[in-house]
Amino acid sequence: MSDPHERLFTGGLPARLANSAHLEGARKKAVETGRNRLVIVAAVFACAFVVLAGRLVHLSSMGDAGSAGPVAEGGGDISLARAEIVDRNGVLLASDLTTASLYANPLQVLDAAEASDKISRVLPELDRGELFSKLSAPNRFVWIKRHLTPRQQHAVNALGLPGFAFLEEQKRVYPQGNLVAHIVGYTGVDNRGLAGIEKRLDERLGAAAGDDGARPPLRLSVDVRVQHVLHHQLALAVEKYRAIGATGVVLDADDGQILASVSLPDFDPHRVDRASADSRFNRASLGVYEMGSTFKIFTVAMALELGTADLADRIDARKPLRVARFMIRDDHAQERWLSVSEVFTYSSNIGAARMALEVGAERQREFLERIGLLGRASLEIAEIGRPIAPDPWRKISTMTVAFGHGIAVTPIQMASAVASLVNGGTRVTPTFIADRRGVRATGERVVSDKTSQAIRLLMRLNVVEGTGKKADAPGYFVGGKTGTAEKVGAGGYRRKALRSSFIGVFPASKPRYVVLAMLDEPQGTKETFGFATAGWTAAPVVGRVIERAAPLLGIEIGGEEEEEPSQRVDPGRKGRQLASF
Amino acid sequence: MAVQTSTGLSESRLTVVQRIQQLNWGLVLLIAVTACVGLTMLYSISEGTTETWVSRQLVRFGVGFLLMLIVAVVDIRFWLRAAFPLYGISLALLVAVEVVGTVGMGARRWIDLGPFQLQPSEIMKIALVLALARYFHGLAHDEIAWLRRLVAPTAMAIVPVALVLRQPDLGTALLLLIGAGAMFFLSGVRLRVLGAVAAAALAAIPVVWHYLRDYQRERILTFFDPERDPLGAGYHILQSKIALGSGGVFGKGLLQGTQSHLHFLPEMRTDFIFTMLAEEFGLVGALGLLTLYIFILTYAIAIALRSRSQFGRLLAMGIAATFFVYFCANIAMVTGLIPVVGAPLPLVSYGGTAMVTTLVGFGLVMSVHIHRDASLPRRAGAEEP
Repeated sequence: MSDPHERLFTGGLPARLANSAHLEGARKKAVETGRNRLVIVAAVFACAFVVLAGRLVHLSSMGDAGSAGPVAEGGGDISLARAEIVDRNGVLLASDLTTASLYANPLQVLDAAEASDKISRVLPELDRGELFSKLSAPNRFVWIKRHLTPRQQHAVNALGLPGFAFLEEQKRVYPQGNLVAHIVGYTGVDNRGLAGIEKRLDERLGAAAGDDGARPPLRLSVDVRVQHVLHHQLALAVEKYRAIGATGVVLDADDGQILASVSLPDFDPHRVDRASADSRFNRASLGVYEMGSTFKIFTVAMALELGTADLADRIDARKPLRVARFMIRDDHAQERWLSVSEVFTYSSNIGAARMALEVGAERQREFLERIGLLGRASLEIAEIGRPIAPDPWRKISTMTVAFGHGIAVTPIQMASAVASLVNGGTRVTPTFIADRRGVRATGERVVSDKTSQAIRLLMRLNVVEGTGKKADAPGYFVGGKTGTAEKVGAGGYRRKALRSSFIGVFPASKPRYVVLAMLDEPQGTKETFGFATAGWTAAPVVGRVIERAAPLLGIEIGGEEEEEPSQRVDPGRKGRQLASF
Repeated sequence: MAVQTSTGLSESRLTVVQRIQQLNWGLVLLIAVTACVGLTMLYSISEGTTETWVSRQLVRFGVGFLLMLIVAVVDIRFWLRAAFPLYGISLALLVAVEVVGTVGMGARRWIDLGPFQLQPSEIMKIALVLALARYFHGLAHDEIAWLRRLVAPTAMAIVPVALVLRQPDLGTALLLLIGAGAMFFLSGVRLRVLGAVAAAALAAIPVVWHYLRDYQRERILTFFDPERDPLGAGYHILQSKIALGSGGVFGKGLLQGTQSHLHFLPEMRTDFIFTMLAEEFGLVGALGLLTLYIFILTYAIAIALRSRSQFGRLLAMGIAATFFVYFCANIAMVTGLIPVVGAPLPLVSYGGTAMVTTLVGFGLVMSVHIHRDASLPRRAGAEEP
C-alpha cells in the first residue's frame, strides 16, 4: 500500500531518499498511536459498561431486600400524628383524624377470587381484577384501601375474611377547606407536609417516630374572619371583572403578622389530586409580579428620605422622557411641572423616573434592599418567590424601577415593604406565625418618622382626590396607591392584559394594617365605563375589605379628619425645580 | 493510480445504488430497535396513548432516520469540505440563542422556530466532532506534536463550551468538553500535553466553583451526600434509586411502574426515562438496553478501525465517543453514580434536536463505513492521486 501523503511534504529527490525512511517511521508510528488510542478508548467504554451494569445489578438487588414490606421496619402506625394548626383566635385550621386503613396478607388469604369478589362488593370503588392480582401476589403485605370510613370498616369486618386487617392511620383534615389552603398547605397519604406551612414546618408539626405525638397546636397570625372577608371580596371581583386570578394580603403594619393572604383560583386541600397547577400556585407568596405604579411609594419615600426631593419641589413632566430606544410617558399626562405630591397622585411615570435619577442607581438599589424587596422573604411557608431585579442595574432600570417596571416582587413582600414605610419607619418582616416575640424590637429603622408621615399623607391624599378614590371606606381614613401593569407577553408588554393592584393602609394617620389586592387580567364593565385599570377594579376591593374587616379588628370609625391632607402637603413655600435633563 | 478496495470497487466513484447496498443494515436495525425502546417508554408515560408524546417522537424519529440514510450515502469528501462551514453555522446558532433564545426552566437553550424549537447545543455536539476530525485530518504525522498546531482546535472546543456554559447548561458543556478531549486523545496528541491540560483543569476547579449557580453547587454537594437533603435536591436521585430497585429482575410490567406513574420521578420523558424502563422492565430491560448500546458502539468502533482515512477514523470514533458519553452520563446520573447533569439518553429520551442530531451522527458513521477505502486530501484543494 503506497502512502500518498508523504509526497506533499518532501521536496526534491535527494531529500526524499534521505527522509523517506524517517517519514515512513513517523507515519507508521502515527498510525500505530492512532490505533492504540482507539483501542484504549474502546477499553474505557468497556470498563464503563461493566461499572454501569454492576451498579444496575446492585441497585436491583437492594430493591429485593427492601420488599420485605414496610410494616416489618416501621412497626405500628404508618403515618404519624401531627400537631393541630389554629388561627390567631384558636379556630381550627388543620387537625388529624384517626382512620382505619385496610391491608391484607395475601399468604393468609384462603381464596383470592372469593375475597376480591366480596371486598369489591363492599368497596365498589376498587377494581376487582386489580384486587385479585394484588391478593394472589406472593407478598406478605398489600394495601387494599387507605382511610376507610367507619361504615366501610364495619362492612369489611362483617365479611369475616381471614388475612385482612386494619392499621390505624392519621388523616389530615382541613375544616376551612379552600379558605386557607394556600397558607396551610396539605399533607400526603403518609401525613407528611407537601405544601405550605405543613411542608415548611413539617418537623415542628410532625411527631418523630417514637414520640408520643402530644405537641401544642401551632397558632398562626391568620384571622379566619379577615381571611374570609378578603377571599369573598376578591372572588366577587374576579367574577365581576372576569379576571383570570387574584391575590390579596392583609398585614399588620407594626409587626408584619399576616392576617389574611388569598390567592385565587384556589383548591380543596382534601382533593389536591384534582387541583390544577394554576389553582395550587400561591400568587401571594410564590408569584413575582411587576407591580407598576404602587412602586412610586418607594420612589417618593426614597427621594424624601435621602433629601434629593422635598414635598414642595416641582418636577418637570412637560413631555415624555426619551432614554436610548425607550420612551417614558404618563398615562394621565399633565404636560407641566408637577409637585411631588402631584407626581404621586397623578401617578406620573416621568416624575417618578426623574426623582429616581436624582437618587441614582446605587442608592436606589440599597434602599429597595433595605426594605426587603430584593431578596427572598423569610416566610414560614414552602412557596416563596425570588424577586427578579434588573441585572445589570442600568440607568434605564433606575427609571423603570421608579414606577414599578423591570422589577418583580411577591405581593406579600410588597405589602410588608409598604408597612415598613408607613409604620413610622421600622423594617417589618412578614410572618404567618402568631407567637413570634420581639419582632418589633429587632426591626431596623429604614426611613425617618418624618418621611413615614409624608408617605401616609400622600397615600391619604391619593384616596381623597387622586386615583384611589374608590378605595375609601368612610371613617377609616384609607390611604393608598393604585398600580396598573401591562402583563408581559411574547415580544413585549400586552396592552390589553393588565394586572391591576391597589395597596391601601388604614387608618392613614397612624396605619395599623396594610391591605393589598391584585386582579389578574380584569376586564372592564359597563359600570367602570370599560376601564380595567386599578382605580376602577382593585381599589374598590380594598375599600370594601377595609369596611368589613376594620370592625372585626377593633378599629373604630374615627371623627372628622383634623386637617385636609392637601393643605398639609403644600406648605406654600416655593420649592426647588427638579429636572435631571 | 486507482486504489483497489477489498470489495473490488473503485473507491472514488461509487454510485448511489452501490452506496445504498454498502449501507450497514445491521447498525440501522439496532438504531431502530433502540428508538423503539424509547417510543415504548413514552407510550407508558402517556398512560397508554400514542397521541401525546409517542406520535410526536415518531415523527422526529422518521425525519431523523431519513436524514441519517441521506447523510450516509453522501460522499464523505463532501462532509470533509463541509466540516468547518457546519461548525461555523452551529457556532452562529449558539450565539443566536444568547440573543433570541427562549428561556425554559431558568436557562436559555432553545431557539423558537415557530412549529419547532431548536437546541443549538445539541447540533454543536456533532459539528464539533466533525470540525475537530477535519482539523486533525489536515495535520501531518509529526505536526500533532507541535503545540502551536493545538491552539486552533483548543479554541474550537473552548468557544462553544463557554457559550453553552453561559446558557447555563453545565451538563452539556461538560459533555462537550469530554467529547472534545476524546478527540484530542484519539488524534494522537502527546500524553504529557494532555496530562498538563488535565492538571490545569483540576487547578481551575475552585475558580469554576465560584462561578457555578447555586442550584449547580447544590446538585454537586447533594451528589456527595444525597441524604443531606432527602426532601429537596437529593429527592430526585433517591426516588430514582427507589424506582430502579423496585423494578427487581423482571420489572413491574409496562404501565405498571408506580414510582413513575405516580409522578415521584422528575423529567420522566427526558432525563429519567431510563429509570422508568428499569422500573417497568427490571434489570433485564435495563441490561438489554445497555447491550443494545454496546452493539451500536461496537459497530462504530469497528467502522473507525476499518477506515483508511484519519478523518473517517476520528469522525466515527468521535461520534461513538459522544454517543457513549451521553448515555453513560445519563445512566450514571439516574443510578446515582454522578451528580444530576441533565444529559438525555440518546435515541430514547424525548426531544427532537437530540434525536435528529444523534441519527445524523450515525449517518456520518455509516458514511465513513461506505467510504472506508476512500483516500482523502489532507489539505483543502489538494486532490490526491
